[in-house]
Amino acid sequence: MTTTTAAPAWAVGVCTGVHAAGSRDVVYVPDNPLSHVLRVFEHQFRDVRLVLATREEEAFGIAAGLYLGGRLPTVMLQSSGIGNSLNALTSLLVPYQIPALMIVSMRGDSGEWNAAQVPMGRAVRAIFDSIGVPHATVGSADSAAETVRLAGKTAFGTRTLGACLLPRCLTLKVP
Amino acid sequence: MTRIEATRIIVDLAGDAPIVASLGHPAYDLFAAGDRPQNFYTWGSMGLASSVGLGLALARPDVRVFVLDGDGSLLMNLGSLATIGLLQPKNLVLVVMDNEEYATTGGQPTPTAHGADLDAAARAMGIAATATVRSEDDLRRAGAERGDGPMFIVAKVKESAPTAKPPLDCVFIKHRFMSAIRSPQSAIEGAGL
Repeated sequence: MTTTTAAPAWAVGVCTGVHAAGSRDVVYVPDNPLSHVLRVFEHQFRDVRLVLATREEEAFGIAAGLYLGGRLPTVMLQSSGIGNSLNALTSLLVPYQIPALMIVSMRGDSGEWNAAQVPMGRAVRAIFDSIGVPHATVGSADSAAETVRLAGKTAFGTRTLGACLLPRCLTLKVP
Repeated sequence: MTRIEATRIIVDLAGDAPIVASLGHPAYDLFAAGDRPQNFYTWGSMGLASSVGLGLALARPDVRVFVLDGDGSLLMNLGSLATIGLLQPKNLVLVVMDNEEYATTGGQPTPTAHGADLDAAARAMGIAATATVRSEDDLRRAGAERGDGPMFIVAKVKESAPTAKPPLDCVFIKHRFMSAIRSPQSAIEGAGL
C-alpha cells in the first residue's frame, strides 16, 4: 500500500488487519505510538469510525453497545489502560460473550524509560491469561496485518476477546 | 414518584425501543415493570450502562435507545457525559434514577444527597437537552421530547423495594436482545468465512 504521509509500516499493517477482520468501529484512548495508527485510519481507511473515550473502561462499554447493535468493535488502548478496564472485561464482555478486537500499545516492556509503567507492562500478559483473553504479540511490521486480522477473525467468529500487543521495539525508536 | 413508577413510564414511552439497564435495582425494576426482549439487563460493569447505550445508539441510528442508569452508577463514569456531549447522538435518552443513595448496597447516601447536580454536569459537558423531574407527568413529558441531540433526564425518585430479578443467564439476555432489535446476523452468527 502506498502512502502519501510518512506512516510507519507497522501502523499501516495494524489498520489493514483491523479492516480485514471486518471491524469498522475503533473505540480508543490515545497514546503516542497509537497516534500513527489513528492517522493511518483517518487518511487511508475512511470507512472506519473512530470514537474517542475518556477512559479505557468506558471504551469497552461503548464497544459492547456497538456489538449489540450489530457492529464488530475494536478497542485501541495503551497497556496501562488494561488495569482500568478489568471490571468491564470480566463482568460485561466475557460473561455476555461480547467480542472485541483489542490493539494494545505496550508500556513497561523492553526499551521503557519510566519505572511507573513497568509493573503493569510486565503483568499484562499474565492478566490476560488469568481472565482467559487470548493475546498475540505483533513481532514485525511485515506480520502486523495478518496477526491483527487473525486475532480479529477469531474474536468475532468465536465471540471472545482477542488482544494484539504492540511492543515498544516495534512502535518506537528507542534512543 | 418511586423508582418502579418511573420505570413503568420509561417502558411505556419506549414502545419497541431498546432499554439498557444498570445493574442492581434499576435492572430489577425494569424486569418487574415490563420484561421484554428489548431489555438489556447488565449484571456487572457498574457505571457502564450509559456507555453501552451510547455504543448501541451509534450502531443503530435508526432506533431510539433508552438507558436506565443510577446516580451512584453514573458517578462511576462521569466521563461518559463528556463523550455523549462530544458525539451528540440524537437517538439516545439517558435517564438517571436518582434516589440519592446506593440502594442496591444498603442505602448509603451518594453525593447527589449532598447537592451534587448531575443535570448541571451533563449541561457542562455539552448535553443541551436536560431535565430534572420529580413527578410522573414531568417524566413522561421529558422522555417524549425529541431534539437535535441526546436527552438527559434526572428522575428524582424514592427508593422502592424491588420485587423480582431478571434472567441470570447473560448470554441468553444478549441473544434475546440482539434478535429483538434485529442486529445484523453477521454479528450474531460470527464474522463469516
